[in-house]
Amino acid sequence: MLNVNELENKHKKYKLKSYTPYFAIFLGVSAAILSISFFLLYDFNSKKETKKELIAQKTQEYNGDRKADIAIENKNEAIEQEASKVIVPKEKEETPVTQEREEKVQLSPSLNFIKRIESEVPLYKKEDSVKAAAIIEKKVERPIEKSSEPIKKENKKEEVSLPIVEEVKESIALVQKPIVEEPATNTSTIDIKRRDVEEDIKHVIKRFNVNHNPALSLFVAKKYYQLENYEQAYNYALATNELNNNIEASWIIFSKSLVKLGKKEMAIETLKRYINHSDSSQARQLLDEILSGKFK
Amino acid sequence: MKPSIYENSRDVFLDTVNVKDYIQLEKISMIYQALRDSIEKPLKMVLLYGKPGTGKSMFLSKLHEDVASAQKAYLYKTPILDESEFFKTIAQDLYGIKYDSELNFTQFMKVVENRELIEAIVPIIMLDEAQLYTTAMMEKIRLLSDTRKVKFVIALHKTEKEDIIAKEHFQTRIWESIKLENASPVELKIYIQKKLMKVNCVDTASMFVPKSINLIHKLTDGNYRDTNKLVYTLFDIYHYYAQNNPKEIRGNEISKKIIEMAAIHTGLINA
Repeated sequence: MLNVNELENKHKKYKLKSYTPYFAIFLGVSAAILSISFFLLYDFNSKKETKKELIAQKTQEYNGDRKADIAIENKNEAIEQEASKVIVPKEKEETPVTQEREEKVQLSPSLNFIKRIESEVPLYKKEDSVKAAAIIEKKVERPIEKSSEPIKKENKKEEVSLPIVEEVKESIALVQKPIVEEPATNTSTIDIKRRDVEEDIKHVIKRFNVNHNPALSLFVAKKYYQLENYEQAYNYALATNELNNNIEASWIIFSKSLVKLGKKEMAIETLKRYINHSDSSQARQLLDEILSGKFK
Repeated sequence: MKPSIYENSRDVFLDTVNVKDYIQLEKISMIYQALRDSIEKPLKMVLLYGKPGTGKSMFLSKLHEDVASAQKAYLYKTPILDESEFFKTIAQDLYGIKYDSELNFTQFMKVVENRELIEAIVPIIMLDEAQLYTTAMMEKIRLLSDTRKVKFVIALHKTEKEDIIAKEHFQTRIWESIKLENASPVELKIYIQKKLMKVNCVDTASMFVPKSINLIHKLTDGNYRDTNKLVYTLFDIYHYYAQNNPKEIRGNEISKKIIEMAAIHTGLINA
């Protein structure tokens, strides 16, 4: 006779035994999953915390920077308001504040050299003017008569006394307008505005004294002519001729300055000689205008 | 379902070699027919081998029952290990000579050689569990068969360690070898159900669904003896529950739990 109860117990043990490997596998897998999850979560949390800390730190830094920026901005605004008398902002489109701050570059000329120039003596003194006039004398056969105060006549030789530059009333300043990038076109413009022309001319004169470039003296002559300082215009046109007598513009400025100084005849003679020498159409045109009274 | 059905079903699977319990399966029938053909041939010896529980004893019993009416056929289910006793037993069965004193191999050979065959029909001696005979005894049996006055059908185990066919005295051409194997799940199902049907246990036979058969086959590997033992124990447990705890056997199929319990009891499961 079978002992079924004992057999049942054995069967229960057998079932437990048979489930053990599956249970072990389940436990192992569960443990593995839990471990992986734990490590993942742990790393994530720690990273998250680190991130949070970093964000907080960054925020603090940003706030600090922002305050500093605002202070700087306020300062800049005050400066810009002052400078706005000469600087005309072109930008109309709205751009982000930060971007504008980054892109806005303001250039302003260093004006230190003006102080140095002020102490310097003007270029052309009397001796130089006489020397220059002597050169012209060789070219002009007939002496210039009835010359006004700056020009003197002595016997056969013509001596032109050139007025000495004493003072310059106006000045020109070259101011580079702040470059404002337009978002649509992305182009930049430079506005040149007169401010202290005199100082600028002085700067060019200083450079001319160093390298004796006729282009610089011609530039100065033109500027003086524009400023209606005909004496200085005459002076520097003559200096240009001395360095290079083939520059048409220097002859024109020279002649025009003579006319403006009331030495019309001398200007006519000078132009005629130059026309004979170079056949300049521009000089001819000016001569015609002087002769016809169109140019006074 | 009446409890007596489980008892009847159980008793069918008692592990006994009874020709009445012989189950005609397709593969078994083919093998049996091959065996019948072999003994008709002028072969000196026929070897029937296979693992324990594959039905060798049942085959020999069936063959003996089938041929004994037509010719002299003697079945020795248990080996006669004493040599003199072995020869004396065969001399008495084959020729009706009773020896009181010792009968050695030489004397018995003379007896066999001097006997004439009746109607040229060679008597058959069937030896079950022949693996228990010594090698020297097996050589003497081979020499006896060489006289062509007696034919041997030998059933023995084929173990994993030793290949019987490789033995020297089984290597001659005059030997016919027939191998018996375990049942497949399908054969096992037919085997179990046919056994139950024989005793009209239709209800219990229908409880063996493929799932139950597969589990039984997994446990027994299709071995007939193991299957008999398992199913016997199984119905024993069923019988117990039917009497003591009927709610445990309410299903229409054989309970997996009870199959496993039977396997634990028979040692097929090491619990």
